Amino acid sequence: MIGYVIKRLLSIVLTMAIMSVLIFWITQVMPGNVAYMILGDFAAPADIATLEAKLGLNDPAHVQYWRWASGLLRGDLGMSLVMERPIGPILADTVSKSAILAGISIGLVALVGIAVGVYAGVRHGKPADHVVSVATYLNIAVPEFLFAIVVVMLFAGYLNWFPATGYSDLSNGFGAWARHIVLPVATLVLGLMAHISRLTRSSMIDTMQSQYVRAARARGLSEWLVIRRHALPNALLPTITVLAIDVGIMMGGIVVVETIFSYPGLGRLLMFAIQNMDVPLLQACMIVITFVYAAANLTADLLYAFLNPRVRYGRSAGD
Amino acid sequence: MADLALNVRGLSVSYGSDGDRVRVLHDVDMQVARGRALGIVGESGSGKSTAALAVLGLLDKGAAIDAGQVLVDGRDLYAATAEERRRLRGGKVSIVFQDPFTTLNPAIRVGRQIAEPLMMHRGMNAAQAEAETLRLLTEVGIADPARMAASYPHQLSGGMKQRALIASALGCDPDLLILDEPTTALDVTIEAQILDLLEELRRTRALSILFISHNLGVVSRICDDICVLYAGRVVEQGPTRTVLSQPRHPYTKGLLASLPSLSVERRRLEAIPGRLPDQRQPQPGCIFAARCHFAQARCTAEPQALADAGNGTRNRCWRSEELQDTPWRVEAGASVERRPPAVDAPTVVDARGVARHFRSGSFIDALSLRWQGWRPAVAYRPHGVRAVDDVNLTIRAGEIVGLVGESGSGKTTLGRCLIDLVSPTAGDIRIDGQSLLAASRGAKRALLRNAQIIFQNPDSSLNPRMTVAQIVGRPLDQIGASGTDRDRRVRELLDLVRLGAGYADRYPHQMSGGEKQRVGIARALATRPKFIVCDEAVSALDVSVQASVLNLLLDLRDAFGLAYLFITHDLSVVSYVADRICVMRHGKLVEEGATASILGAPQHPYTTALLAAVPRVRLAEAPVRPTA
Repeated sequence: MIGYVIKRLLSIVLTMAIMSVLIFWITQVMPGNVAYMILGDFAAPADIATLEAKLGLNDPAHVQYWRWASGLLRGDLGMSLVMERPIGPILADTVSKSAILAGISIGLVALVGIAVGVYAGVRHGKPADHVVSVATYLNIAVPEFLFAIVVVMLFAGYLNWFPATGYSDLSNGFGAWARHIVLPVATLVLGLMAHISRLTRSSMIDTMQSQYVRAARARGLSEWLVIRRHALPNALLPTITVLAIDVGIMMGGIVVVETIFSYPGLGRLLMFAIQNMDVPLLQACMIVITFVYAAANLTADLLYAFLNPRVRYGRSAGD
Repeated sequence: MADLALNVRGLSVSYGSDGDRVRVLHDVDMQVARGRALGIVGESGSGKSTAALAVLGLLDKGAAIDAGQVLVDGRDLYAATAEERRRLRGGKVSIVFQDPFTTLNPAIRVGRQIAEPLMMHRGMNAAQAEAETLRLLTEVGIADPARMAASYPHQLSGGMKQRALIASALGCDPDLLILDEPTTALDVTIEAQILDLLEELRRTRALSILFISHNLGVVSRICDDICVLYAGRVVEQGPTRTVLSQPRHPYTKGLLASLPSLSVERRRLEAIPGRLPDQRQPQPGCIFAARCHFAQARCTAEPQALADAGNGTRNRCWRSEELQDTPWRVEAGASVERRPPAVDAPTVVDARGVARHFRSGSFIDALSLRWQGWRPAVAYRPHGVRAVDDVNLTIRAGEIVGLVGESGSGKTTLGRCLIDLVSPTAGDIRIDGQSLLAASRGAKRALLRNAQIIFQNPDSSLNPRMTVAQIVGRPLDQIGASGTDRDRRVRELLDLVRLGAGYADRYPHQMSGGEKQRVGIARALATRPKFIVCDEAVSALDVSVQASVLNLLLDLRDAFGLAYLFITHDLSVVSYVADRICVMRHGKLVEEGATASILGAPQHPYTTALLAAVPRVRLAEAPVRPTA
């Protein structure tokens, strides 16, 4: 098991290294010159040349990359060109706000999605299963931003239960914070839940037809025990892998949702960096997103291993 | 009739939804007296597994009991509520399923799975159940029960898993133990060990057993009584020895006539023609009439009832008495001459020093971490298997070489190397004197026209989206045949495998298993090969169908001088077809010789063990009796 964890960690280090090169390269080939961006369109060529030299923009690409990457390793994310402040604290604040949003959402997606999927899977072919199937198909067919608009119109517009946009800090009271976070979370959950419940449903159906579930029934276990002890741990294996992929999809969703709801998180910061050509800020945001995705996959792999003894103990005697 | 562990009376079961119900069991009667073993035999579609599940109260969704009773230890199973039935399962009635590889939950330790019924039905706490689990594992012959209980299923071999499942089924001292093909998924030597164990347990525990199998040899070894099912009906039942030595029902006679036996003398197998009737159609007369040699007008008009034959058996055939001394076919059992190839027949396949190693896992998987004191050291160790290890093999024109061995012995890999489906890592293979490995692409294609393969499973080796004519014609397209030539050849091939042109436009799902395998044979014959690899070509088929396919393969050899490499795990089959037998183990050929000498005087201990393990239809010895 320790060997397995070390191997997974090694492969994540490798992934991060490759991604950092890609991120650096992509942001470098973007149109526009950083010095122009800072000094404005009417700057004198001499001033631009001075600033370029100061920022090291004339150095060869690999020197620039190494300067940036070694800074990252030391925890130095650089300066935002537009805000003219260190990126670290800005990022820490927005990432924690987004993490709360994403964490609650992915947690609810897992909880509700799996529950709905298991419910439908166990009742395969019965009316409840058909209702869930149709509902999930509809859910998958509708794009995320439409949920956002409908949710805002309904709950913020007509019913006026929740504020349509903005963010209230926890220091202003839990109620206000919660009221602001309900609609973005609902949008994100609606966007991903159907995936998870459909997948869980189909793997639950497969598992319930497996020979070992039949064997468990033949031992006289109650249906509840058969589902909980024998079917569920095996049926959840594919769901766990897909949940990790969904963390990546949710990164995209967060950009949309934070923009629509004016939620001051990582997604909005990323949009800000792109719109203002703030290259160091953009690079930092993308590195963080890559890292979150890699960490989610690591978590999924470890959880998968924990639930699947074949991975935990490797191959052994016999066949 | 007082002391019956199981009494099934007039049981009828059907499947499907309202408009489209198919009855799979018709008015089935069977009894297991306490301490005795009843064998249910039948081919696929006979309804034997449905019978087992009905006795367990565990029928699939959509199945319904239309009539009849199942009494376990005098209690009517279906008069009880579903909850009461559940409490009987695993306690009063328990079952061992066919495939130990899928029956154990991969995510739960074996010990916990065995302990489940103990805690459920015997009210034990975890510690008591654990102690009892260890005791049970010792009883089924596990040397290190503690280690076994702590293992996960993937860490155990198939035989070990089946022992664990038997232990689990015995846990609550059941009134009735159902064994549903308990050895079918296992290698022959492991099968013999499990059968030994079952015989032993019958003696020590005085078990009442319902034993379901398609293998008459296995049934004759374990069971006192036998019940032959055909298309959901009991066609013959009685004491095992009487039924197998003096079969009265034509189906039982046919089944025995199509069973290859492990012997030097070759008797022509007589298959049962035709296929299982479509159970959706009403069958006014005898269900077997369409396939029966002895059928008369009265057979198709009148339904048949089970009647006493006077020798302690009952059967469902009104002519059984007048036919009692008539064999299935008059010529059945006639000895046929083996026709080994002429001594000077040219060599078709010549394999020298063939080896194939497999590497498994990715680069990162091959890295292993070792601690040297406190210093970690990473080593690169690719995992590998020597599937085929330095094998020499020659096959002459018209020769049938049987290749036997247990699963994992490398026999399939060797067969695939010979027709270039797998590239050997070392050695040389010559087909018709030309090197296969050194050949250019074009030359190789020409060579491979001479070397074809028939796969084990016709369901997965025929493209379900192609018609028979397209499947058989595809190799012809490859060698450039076209137009009327191609069509004529397809018809010719279908005639050759006795399917007829009517099959040309059918799709695989419209045919039975035996018919599909004939299409596979026609495809292999398309390019007029000199050599065909038959990789478990009859293993997936029922006995009656297997016999007709084996006969077809032998006839084709006689007609065209074909050479076969006949790969199989079934020694009876190989003793029937092969001129020469090669025994493979751990990637090496451990023994090779003429069929008669291998069967008569095996030299290698492994060959001896394999031969000893084959379950045969025993008529001379009585089955074991429980002493209690």
